Amino acid sequence: MILLNQGYVLLFFATLLVVFFILKKYQYSLRSLLPFKYIEKSITEDLLKQLYHVTSSQKTTDFKMLSGALKIPERKILKVVESMTQKGLILISDSHVTLTETGKNYALSIIRIHRLWEKYLSEKTGFDKSLWHDLAETKEHQLSEEETEALYEELGRPRFDPHGDPIPTALGEMISETGTSIVGIPKGTVAKIIHIEDEPKSIYRQIIKEKLHIGAHVKILTSENHHVIFESEGHSIQLSTVVASNIQVVLLNSQEVYEEGKVRLSSLIEGEHATILGISTECRGANRRRLLDLGFIKGTLLTLEYMGPNQNPRAYRLRNTLIALRNDQADFILIEKPQYDRTGSL
Amino acid sequence: MKEEDTQDLLDLASELRWEVGENFHDTLVEGIYTDAAQIAQKTEIKQGEPNPYSFERKLDQVLTSKKYGFPIMILILSIILWLTIQGANYPSALLASFFLEFLHPILKTGASQVDLPWWLDGFLIDGVYLALGWVISVMLPPMAIFFPMFTLLEDFGYLPRVAFNLDSLFKKSGAHGKQALTMSMGWGCNAAGVVATRIIDSPRERLIAIITNNFSLCNGRWPTQILIATIFIGALVPDGFSSILASIAVIGVALLGVGFTFFSSWMLSKTLLKGEVSTFALELPPYRPPNLWTTLYTSLIDRTLIVLWRAMVFAAPAGAVIWLISNIYVGDLSLANITIDWMDGFGLFFGLNGVILLAYVVAIPANEIVIPTILMLTVAHLNLMGAGDGVMFELESTTETAALLHAGGWTLLTGINLMLFSLLHNPCSTTIYTIYQETKSWKWTVFASIMPVILGFLVTFLVTQIWQVFH
Repeated sequence: MILLNQGYVLLFFATLLVVFFILKKYQYSLRSLLPFKYIEKSITEDLLKQLYHVTSSQKTTDFKMLSGALKIPERKILKVVESMTQKGLILISDSHVTLTETGKNYALSIIRIHRLWEKYLSEKTGFDKSLWHDLAETKEHQLSEEETEALYEELGRPRFDPHGDPIPTALGEMISETGTSIVGIPKGTVAKIIHIEDEPKSIYRQIIKEKLHIGAHVKILTSENHHVIFESEGHSIQLSTVVASNIQVVLLNSQEVYEEGKVRLSSLIEGEHATILGISTECRGANRRRLLDLGFIKGTLLTLEYMGPNQNPRAYRLRNTLIALRNDQADFILIEKPQYDRTGSL
Repeated sequence: MKEEDTQDLLDLASELRWEVGENFHDTLVEGIYTDAAQIAQKTEIKQGEPNPYSFERKLDQVLTSKKYGFPIMILILSIILWLTIQGANYPSALLASFFLEFLHPILKTGASQVDLPWWLDGFLIDGVYLALGWVISVMLPPMAIFFPMFTLLEDFGYLPRVAFNLDSLFKKSGAHGKQALTMSMGWGCNAAGVVATRIIDSPRERLIAIITNNFSLCNGRWPTQILIATIFIGALVPDGFSSILASIAVIGVALLGVGFTFFSSWMLSKTLLKGEVSTFALELPPYRPPNLWTTLYTSLIDRTLIVLWRAMVFAAPAGAVIWLISNIYVGDLSLANITIDWMDGFGLFFGLNGVILLAYVVAIPANEIVIPTILMLTVAHLNLMGAGDGVMFELESTTETAALLHAGGWTLLTGINLMLFSLLHNPCSTTIYTIYQETKSWKWTVFASIMPVILGFLVTFLVTQIWQVFH
């Protein structure tokens, strides 16, 4: 007979579970509990990144602010800063910290890995986009230079990450961002989203909830002090100024036309016909290829045949084939309903 | 060209790459697709206006409607399962009486006439041969009924509509609508269900379907469920109602399996598999009259016989092991008895017993031989007269089986936990092998094999705990 008090067994497993969740939740803050030599590299790199962003937005910073931003006690920061000065990565005058040329290049190489990894996650994996940033935040300290270059080649030498941020080249070249915030643009302007900031996370979540994406055309309907209302892909969207200021746009260039009748496939009703205008850039990697393979190509006519018992998925007929798509996929496909059909070919 | 010029050109190219933007590759590729499509559209000659859809459209409107979609689906599935379970009884009994009652004694007599040593005779005829006979007679008839019917529906075009109707339900647990089909296929045979996941083209959803297929109660487990439910749960109520209650219990276990499928799909898609690529597409092919003979041929050859062959390959050594552990003695006790005593404490902790655990270990190759093994081991352990050491058998009546199990110390709790453990334990070795074939990954094969056992122990443990509170 095995002598085991069953109450203790239950208690043991319950404790394990609780410990696991605590570790998972606070893994970022808990990293400062690890021995210093294991975390020196990642703290150094995070500091460099932070300093780079501060410098490029022409602000200054001190140790207290850095400690707060990185969630690491100040005395550990000071320890790292000391060794960073010795390595010639930063200069300290008074309590101001500035990056040296070496430091700046190091920072750019970390930013390069971060953005390449986000690009990788968006193209080759199924991770939700709200997770990309955190995953890249860990990965940027782990990839070697060779691995980064191999990744760059594998991804087809991308220049922009999925949020629209430029990826620095291996030589540290990078264009500066040219977009302006969607806040403060006069009413009636049409523009194109080129960048959506993924931090802070709570604001980013609100933006992706509206299914806004890079490359989407927007038309400003009202621009008030505390909120902006604009139209995109047939939906009218209202965002508070705080949220909207994380979206950067550029005005359409001469070759681009604002497509008035461009709406999402999900807005089609049963029996209605439409012409496909394209697939949104938000639909990436395998998902995009799948849709193209199935024939969701610009210029194709399609009909919503029936909705099914739950309205999701819905069955569309195109090229004499019935294909069922889920509604979140149909959101990615942009169509034009006949009344807007300029060619009149229907 | 001079070196400097080349460098200038490269620099210019690099600079311009910033300006063409992120997705010029995509735009280019899509442009080519569009051109190709337009050229095809222009040159394609269509004979007459295509309007053959009217019948199809009406049928679709009924089969996918809010009102009739689900009832029709449940009706068809129940009919198939009922036909399989009921219809398989007679041919199974026939095969069993041929292999086990007619041919087995003849082989035994033949062996004694050519003076085969007793151990070789036992090893080959009582071990290997009996296991094979058992597997064939229990496994072949249900598969030969279930798979052709399933293939007919598939051929007709109905199954994609089922996936279409159920997709929103599966989507909630991060799975694909087509998993409804592989899941029902698993009710026939898990190995076939795992092979069927090839229809799911999204990597994440396919892995989910493979790993959770074991929660579909396969036809090797239905007889165990029915027998145990009749003995232990049916006996709780007066005779007239016992078969109804037993059926409800079996259906309950099968539905619990569906529940576990959804739950573990959801867990997997949120944790281990959240990084796998996930896409969705479901083609709804036109309805067409099924080709009866081709269907019968392919479903019998491709599905039934291949699965049966694999099961036989794995069952033969299992039969040998079962015979050996009962006939090799260490001191006064056979290996089987030693192991049973050793595992008993552990088993009782989970409301099971040593016999059940040992039976599940040696019967990994085929769920079909679990009950015969349990009976043989119980007899051997109680030192009663059975069919002989290491000879699997089944008793003529349920009452006799019940008496034997009660003598082996079984209670209602043991019965319930055996039913649960039969649902939640490792897949049979045929299925494990198939999972490896389909995933080509040891990691997922091991995970898919271990995860259900852990879940099984967890559930039986909890049931035992709750039981002990009330008793």
